[in-house]
Amino acid sequence: MPAAVASPLTTAGSRNPLPRASRDAAWVRWTLTAVALVFLAFFLALPLAAVFAEGLRRGVAAYFASFRDTDALAAIRLTLLTAAIAVPANAVFGVAAAWAIAKFPFRGKSLLITLIDLPFAVSPVIAGLVYVLIFGANGWFGSWLIDHDVRIIFAVPGIIIATTFVTFPFVARELIPLMQAQGNDEEYAAATLGASGWQTFWRVTLPNIKWGLLYGIILCNARAMGEFGAVSVVSGHIRGETDTLPLHVEILYNEYNFVGSFAVASLLTLLALVTLVLKTIVEWRHAASRSAST
Amino acid sequence: MSIEAQNIRRAFGTFAALAGVDLKVEPGKLVALLGPSGSGKTTLLRIIAGLEFADPGSGRILFDGEDVTDLPPGRRKVGFVFQHYALFRHLTVFENIAFGLRVRRRRERPPERELADRVRHLLDLVQLPGLEARYPHQLSGGQRQRVALARALAVEPRVLLLDEPFGALDAKVRRELRRWLRRFHDEINVTTLFVTHDQEEALEIADEVVIMNQGRIEQVGTPQEVYDRPATPFVHQFVGNVNILRAPAAGGGDASFGRVMRDGRIYVRPQDIEIVPHEGRDGLSAIVRHIHAAGPQARLTLEQVQSREVVEAEISRPELGALNLRVNDLVRLRLRQAHSFDDSYAI
Repeated sequence: MPAAVASPLTTAGSRNPLPRASRDAAWVRWTLTAVALVFLAFFLALPLAAVFAEGLRRGVAAYFASFRDTDALAAIRLTLLTAAIAVPANAVFGVAAAWAIAKFPFRGKSLLITLIDLPFAVSPVIAGLVYVLIFGANGWFGSWLIDHDVRIIFAVPGIIIATTFVTFPFVARELIPLMQAQGNDEEYAAATLGASGWQTFWRVTLPNIKWGLLYGIILCNARAMGEFGAVSVVSGHIRGETDTLPLHVEILYNEYNFVGSFAVASLLTLLALVTLVLKTIVEWRHAASRSAST
Repeated sequence: MSIEAQNIRRAFGTFAALAGVDLKVEPGKLVALLGPSGSGKTTLLRIIAGLEFADPGSGRILFDGEDVTDLPPGRRKVGFVFQHYALFRHLTVFENIAFGLRVRRRRERPPERELADRVRHLLDLVQLPGLEARYPHQLSGGQRQRVALARALAVEPRVLLLDEPFGALDAKVRRELRRWLRRFHDEINVTTLFVTHDQEEALEIADEVVIMNQGRIEQVGTPQEVYDRPATPFVHQFVGNVNILRAPAAGGGDASFGRVMRDGRIYVRPQDIEIVPHEGRDGLSAIVRHIHAAGPQARLTLEQVQSREVVEAEISRPELGALNLRVNDLVRLRLRQAHSFDDSYAI
């Protein structure tokens, strides 16, 4: 017993006043900081600035004129439409999957968790090709779809399907660890108090995950609007019809319309900046609500 | 409202959490389900609440004779207090307590004024007036526990079930709260069943103690009954402290001592061991190994000379002073009272 009491005191006494990392020589710290800053400037800040500089090279009028182009407007509309369908679909799916995984024991759970990660593991181009293989003219359902005059590949449905696939894990991956950490006790408590399953979901489960859900939705939306690879394969690049914003940027660039290309690109860049700001705010609220719950 | 569990079985794989349990709790009683972890006590409580189900084909749960086995928890009208309270973290204390009333069907839902009155009344009842607007994370452990109790009582439950109600509290708050719970129970008089692994807690506040081990009930009785007349070796070890002595070759010269020991093992509580100077002839020779005198009673660790078994004894401080004992002194032990489980009697 005396030994047990004495040991924490001796370790406390012999402990260094500062952790090791902060005792490194000043030049090490300054070099590391400088390397990080140069890297950031070169790979992040410079391209960001370049997008706006190139877009505004011919002046503000030319910049805004790029958005009045009917093809550009069509691309904006299509991108918004795609996000408007893919993001809610993945939010609903993500909540359902996370709910099932976190709150119920069942066979094949780890397989399901792995499958949810598949869109992150596979190259988006492959994802696009898979859908061409399934729904394309020579694909599995190709002839059936042609017979019934349903167009998926090289049309809007294909773009939405490919986008949904690629952005599928964001919400689920955010929610699964959160819901697992929260456990089932509050749901059980609601059940003993007479709440139905639906009431429990709306009044207990959803409020507890709202910040995590919002965080997942923001990331999901950013990717849905910015996806290039998978959408490029299934789109067919029909101007004014199946061009999303990222595809439109590429087309304008290939046509040497640099101002137009960078102007549209700046729109996507602004979206990224807004996303980052929202993400930071939500992260902050999320952390606050998490620490409050412990 | 009485609670009755009939032949409840529950297996997790090959592990039998409950191996056919029968239990009856009389109306208005405060009953403790006492047992070590893994004894099945929490599983039984959750099955009574409807949060878990007994194995298909096994027994039934009756409230006042009414079969509730197939009812979901919300329709059983039970108040359940979780070990970690499970308060709704995003709701205020007021809304936590009001939850059970708000989720009712519109016809049964009380109007807002009446609802607010009831919540305030419950807060007064658990002695937390004025805390309506707080969130759970702004409360202490003891306050959370009482909010959880108020929330459970808001739906006017027929029975109150508490899972390790004091488990997450520190020692001092625990003692205060359990006395409070006893008084509270006498005030509201709702049949209450609580799970605990702490025998002191169970013996102090329960009308009746149900001792469980390995999915079975070992004994049911008042605290005094299970302490004074333990029905099984397990109960004897679990409730209160006990020395288990194996029979040595010779009975140490004490005829009655030797007779008990023929059964194999005897169970002696530390306070039933008398320590006498070694000069006498009665009793087992033992050496004092450790004296722990910081407390109302002195606790002695002794080693029997013949069997080398270690024995714990508890004697009063004046006795200790009169004996003038030191570590490594030779003494004799006599048993005032002992149990053996083929045959139990006092010496």
